[in-house]
Amino acid sequence: MGTKLLLVDDEDGIRTFLGISLADLGYEVLTAADGRQALEIFAAQRPPIVLTDIKMPGMDGIALLRRIKEQSPDTEVVMISGHADMDLAIKSLKFQAADFVTKPINNEVLEMALARVQEKIAMRAELRRHTENLERLVEEKSQRIVQLERQAAVGQVVESLSGAIRDIAGDIEDSAATLSDLPCFISIHNQYMEVVSTNALYRARLGEMTGRGSWEAYADVEPRDCPVGRTFRSGAGQRMEASVRTVLGERVPVLVHTAPIRGGDGEVELVLEITADLTAISRLQEELRATRAQYQLLFDEAPCFISVQDRQFRITAANRLFKEHFGSPGEGVRCHAVYAHRDEPCDKCPVARTFETGQSHQWETVVTSRTGKPYNVLLWTAPIRDASGAITEVMEMATDITQLRELQDHLASLGLMIGSMSHGIKGMLTALDGGVYRVESGFRNDDPGRVESGWATVKDMVSRIRSMVLQMLHYAKHRELNWAATDLGAFFESVARLVEPKAQKGGVAFVRSLPPGDLGSFEADATMLSAALVNLLENAVDACQDDTAKPRHAVTFGVRADETALTFTVADNGTGIDRETRERMFTLFFSSKGCKGTGLGLFVSDKTIRQHGGAISVDSEPGQGSTFTIRLPRVLPESAKTCSEGS
Amino acid sequence: MAKIMIVDDDPNIVTYLTDIFTDNGYQTCAASDGAKALELVKAERPDLITLDIEMPEEWGPRFYRKLAQDPELKRIPVVVVSGLAGNKYAIPKAVAALTKPFDPDELLGIVGSVLGR
Repeated sequence: MGTKLLLVDDEDGIRTFLGISLADLGYEVLTAADGRQALEIFAAQRPPIVLTDIKMPGMDGIALLRRIKEQSPDTEVVMISGHADMDLAIKSLKFQAADFVTKPINNEVLEMALARVQEKIAMRAELRRHTENLERLVEEKSQRIVQLERQAAVGQVVESLSGAIRDIAGDIEDSAATLSDLPCFISIHNQYMEVVSTNALYRARLGEMTGRGSWEAYADVEPRDCPVGRTFRSGAGQRMEASVRTVLGERVPVLVHTAPIRGGDGEVELVLEITADLTAISRLQEELRATRAQYQLLFDEAPCFISVQDRQFRITAANRLFKEHFGSPGEGVRCHAVYAHRDEPCDKCPVARTFETGQSHQWETVVTSRTGKPYNVLLWTAPIRDASGAITEVMEMATDITQLRELQDHLASLGLMIGSMSHGIKGMLTALDGGVYRVESGFRNDDPGRVESGWATVKDMVSRIRSMVLQMLHYAKHRELNWAATDLGAFFESVARLVEPKAQKGGVAFVRSLPPGDLGSFEADATMLSAALVNLLENAVDACQDDTAKPRHAVTFGVRADETALTFTVADNGTGIDRETRERMFTLFFSSKGCKGTGLGLFVSDKTIRQHGGAISVDSEPGQGSTFTIRLPRVLPESAKTCSEGS
Repeated sequence: MAKIMIVDDDPNIVTYLTDIFTDNGYQTCAASDGAKALELVKAERPDLITLDIEMPEEWGPRFYRKLAQDPELKRIPVVVVSGLAGNKYAIPKAVAALTKPFDPDELLGIVGSVLGR
């Protein structure tokens, strides 16, 4: 017999024809002409599917839907709606209608809607079956657990044993020594105060005592005062110090613990006696102390910053290196205050995450020491747990990777250099080809003008390639200063003479500005410093030539000096430099010159000047021109003479 | 006489390409960046364009996009001549892509076959 389906519609025709279609689909169709009748039939027959018109006199379809769902939430109700009352159809979905079909009813649509409903019902039934299975499973498991509980009760002996061992462990100054580490003599005694059983260590040190009196192992203990006797009398575990006599006749001081083992009637049936060799305990304590000292040493000497923090990120312990760089953290000082000088914890705090997850976490960040020096550090955390396994504190190790990062930057720069320069070099080589081609074709056509201009290109390219290669070599290999006392006036003039011809050729006036008289001498690597200044001066000439806004251009090269320091200035009234360029101009491979620049010049100049213990600054307005100011000490700093900056 | 437009920011390379083309019977004109090239291409209507990729102001690919949007100009064949590795991906529709430093005979061969000589 098919699934029961209740069809509710006030129109006879629909009930008849739809009824036939539904019967064809295999349903056992019940029909009702209005809501009231429908509820009666529903109460009696409980059909799993109801198909109802929305618009009906008296109780309408939505009211019927709500009543049915109240009585039987699992019953699926499909609504039939006219095109005009789509709103009602949608509203019905809010009241848990399974679906709706519109009039005139398309049999295929209806069939599909009913198939979905059937599927839903089938799934619900399956789900219920699973749930019931699950309940049965839980019941079975519960029974099994009860069984296990009963078995566990039998394990009371084991329980007492571990309790006694815990007590002993507590006596050995909260050391977490395990049973195997404990030099314990374990024995079990019966109500007749006889030794029933002993462990291997007991037998080896104290001899075979099984069947003898519980007190006999002791050096001078009366039978009634022995720990086992006291336990039987009082029913409570005992703890005392005594001495035992070994098979070799030695007296060994021991710590004795006993624990009563009760029978089913609550009477003490047996006594467990655990005796610990105090000499061995003191040896273990000594070992423990040594191990702790070693850990302390490791903690202090580890080449990273180590701190231990509680849940409020307060530093409870810190190693030597940490204290050296970040100061000894006082009571209650928080990690973020010490490392980052901030009031709130960091967003990605790995300590917080370790407290949360119990796992180790890593984070790379920059911290600032008490002297203000930044360190790139890789943080690594580990939870510290108490005996119950709860995380009480987190240890954080910060490895200083500043040098690694610097090295990486250097390598990345080299990679960038190769990429950026290969483009420049390709352009230059092509231009060189062009010059050679021009020279050749000039010779071929007997055109001296062409030969000359081609040759000028070749010379220009060769010198550009040459200077680029030299700069590359300079960057790739760190050069030590080859310094000597240098006459300032002569040095100034030699630099000026290198640039003056280029300026004049480009129609730019070259002006010297220096005080009269002897300027004295200073310490410098004249070759390197000269190259750095020439580079700045040539840039100034280029800036003038690129500027078309002003009729006349000049580059002014100046020097001033006092007793300890000297100042070079390179000023031009060329194009000027915008702010972004000013901020980036000393970085590697920054060039504002398009195909003419290598992006190395100012970087190398700046590096040379810093290597001399000096500094370079720039003042410029776009359209007005630029002034570079280079300050240098007369006497090189010791660090510059012996070894070089940065290394 | 076929006319070739050279687009490159390096004047030395413009001279080089101009030499090569004029010595082999072509007319030339030249622009130093993409923006100027677009004006020039409308004025001169060249038969072929050699195009550098990396230039100040406006790069080669952007110039090409603008060129390709103009129904009259988009049929002009473009030969890429650039120092960038992988430049053949920069303008996929270019008839050829040469890497600097290039072989002048190869360039002349490509230009000759494109212009049907």
